[in-house]
Amino acid sequence: MIMMKKNRRLIQVLILSTVVVITAITIAGNLFSEKDELPTEGSKAPNFALRTLDGGHHQLKDFEGHPVIINFWGTFCEPCVNEMPLIQSYYETYKDQGLVVLGINLNEAEATVRAFVREHGITFPILMDNDRIRRNYGVMYYPTTFFVGPDGVIQDIFIGELKDSTLSVRVNRLLSSNG
Amino acid sequence: MIENTKCECGHQNPVDTVLCEACGKPLVEIADKELLEMRYDGVARRSQRKNPNLLDRIWGFFSSVKVAVYLIIITLCVAMLGTLYPQENTFIGLDPAQYYEENHGTLGKIYYMLGFSRTYESWWFIGLLFLLGTSLVVCSLDRVIPLYRALKRQQVRKHTQFLERQKVVYKDKLFDAHDEKVKEREMEWLEQFANILRKKFYKVQVENSALMAEKYRFSRWGPYVIHIGLIIFLVAALLRTVIPGWYMDEYISIMEGDIKQIPGTNYYLKNEKFTVEFYEQDELSPAQREEGRIIPKLFETRAVLYECVRHCDDESLEEPVLIERLRHDIRVNEPLEYDGIMAYQFDYEFTPQLRSIRVELKDHTTGESFGFFDLETDNPAESYTVGPYELTLIHYYPDFGYENGKPVTKSSKPNAPAYVFSITGPGVEDGAVHMYFPRPEDKVRFAQDRINEAAGSPFLIEAAGMEDVEFALYTTFLNIRVDKGMPLVWVGAVIGMIGLVMGTYWQHRRIWVRFDEGQLLLGAHTNKNWYGLRQEIAKALAGLDIRIDPKSLINEVKRS
Repeated sequence: MIMMKKNRRLIQVLILSTVVVITAITIAGNLFSEKDELPTEGSKAPNFALRTLDGGHHQLKDFEGHPVIINFWGTFCEPCVNEMPLIQSYYETYKDQGLVVLGINLNEAEATVRAFVREHGITFPILMDNDRIRRNYGVMYYPTTFFVGPDGVIQDIFIGELKDSTLSVRVNRLLSSNG
Repeated sequence: MIENTKCECGHQNPVDTVLCEACGKPLVEIADKELLEMRYDGVARRSQRKNPNLLDRIWGFFSSVKVAVYLIIITLCVAMLGTLYPQENTFIGLDPAQYYEENHGTLGKIYYMLGFSRTYESWWFIGLLFLLGTSLVVCSLDRVIPLYRALKRQQVRKHTQFLERQKVVYKDKLFDAHDEKVKEREMEWLEQFANILRKKFYKVQVENSALMAEKYRFSRWGPYVIHIGLIIFLVAALLRTVIPGWYMDEYISIMEGDIKQIPGTNYYLKNEKFTVEFYEQDELSPAQREEGRIIPKLFETRAVLYECVRHCDDESLEEPVLIERLRHDIRVNEPLEYDGIMAYQFDYEFTPQLRSIRVELKDHTTGESFGFFDLETDNPAESYTVGPYELTLIHYYPDFGYENGKPVTKSSKPNAPAYVFSITGPGVEDGAVHMYFPRPEDKVRFAQDRINEAAGSPFLIEAAGMEDVEFALYTTFLNIRVDKGMPLVWVGAVIGMIGLVMGTYWQHRRIWVRFDEGQLLLGAHTNKNWYGLRQEIAKALAGLDIRIDPKSLINEVKRS
């Protein structure tokens, strides 16, 4: 009889604690699961590996320790085309200070991109994306530019055409964090 | 103080037992001649105990049917509130913060702020479901185990008070108490009665001038079996939200010839061909014909499912390696099914697009053909060899147009493709530039021939005919669904159904008889269909020449 009572107690505790644990897991899981967590300012830039237009390849990881500008662009997008010479000039000015610029093309034909790069004298690496990285980065509008610090953390996300004033502030901030 | 819970028959009962577990004598004071409360056979519930501690109190809370009923009512009300306005998870590209206020005014704003826009994912709703589930388990356990034990150790000879207070009672002076053979006569009568009852599928025990007959006890477990089914059902519903990949409801659009990854999986779907058939004019009703409506009869996606086996993650440089797993023609109500993934035909759109074209390189003046080559619109190759000539694609505009006098592409879709080649070979050692528009209307609009003339190109590039052009005409919209909890839901539903049938179509019937010096006392109990029980007893008694009206078996005493 005493054994039975002990068992009964044990079963009660087991059932109640199981319920509590499962409840906690379920609710916590529901509260804290952000299904598609997109990168935001202050979050770590997700790594990617992409082929470049000239046949090589780059990983974001390779540039850890460098300030990186990631620019999503396409030849069909007028503001992207407009800001290209500006980005190119900043790249030329600051590449010796470690600035890396990666132009991620939005799934265009290589012939189209190659002609554009040739005509506009773009020298920073152009990466060919097939929408995967664009989706991972939650890019909906073009151009969108990510400013990633040497620590791999996104300092700023700029949507729209970059002007000299907007770009210089951000590049200076990027470079000043380059300890 | 320890309450004396020992019955006069010598059985030690748990606290709060209503009827002695052994002989059935009422242990609590009840008004004279009142009928017995036979619920759970008068046994004590597990949670009924003296000096409850915290655990006992929690257990006691969940074991209360009253609490369970309130929980059900609250859950129902909250679930109802969740249906008042559309839930957030049904939005595609809408900002919920604005949606509710714009569409439903202040009430909508309050609704959103209170979190009802995500009712079914909210912690309090899931919490309520858990409380309900716990109540279900505890309530059942608290009753089913004592009841099981009580029914397992029933005594054949019940207390007179127990029998007299049943709803079905029959008394008769059958034998003379002074007869020397009264005991034997009683036993003989009981044996005969037992045989009659056995033919009616009763299990009968006879001992000590008493009889107990019982049938269909299993029907008592019906409600508990239903509860097991419900709990499985509930668990299945919860697992869907907890385990990643158990539930998905997404829409994807695939153009003819395209291949797309099913989000969140390693599977890819290809739309090889989309076909749509329309109703003929004579198949339509006059009203429809008048409106000039075109109604699709059948639409079908010839789909191929691939699984990615290598280079599947986003950090991989290589193209994913895909292996074909299944081919299926997806039609309405005929989804593609593979590994728990179902792809339903949902919609389609007419989106004509040039995919590739086979063209011929010719001499412009003589018309001499140098050969054929294929031009893609998606990602055209950058060099071609045609006869003695080398062609380099120096420009490709998928959607050609002019912006401030400069040629540009207006989008990345091949709406108006334009190719610019540099051609080298015999006679054009330094390279001739030649522009080609596959679409005849673009040729005219952008004056292809004049451009080439101005550039001094001695060539002509043209398609032989429509058969050399490959078009993608339709984009198909598929609804991708995964619901791995479904088998479990079915198991729960089937078990629940079994329980329902057990408890509905059978009744637990018991008949007790005892003799006291030739005096017959019969009591009977069932959980429902008393009419049937009385009929059965009257018939059985008739077999022993006791002819009574079944109605006379109704106990005269009234319930207070």
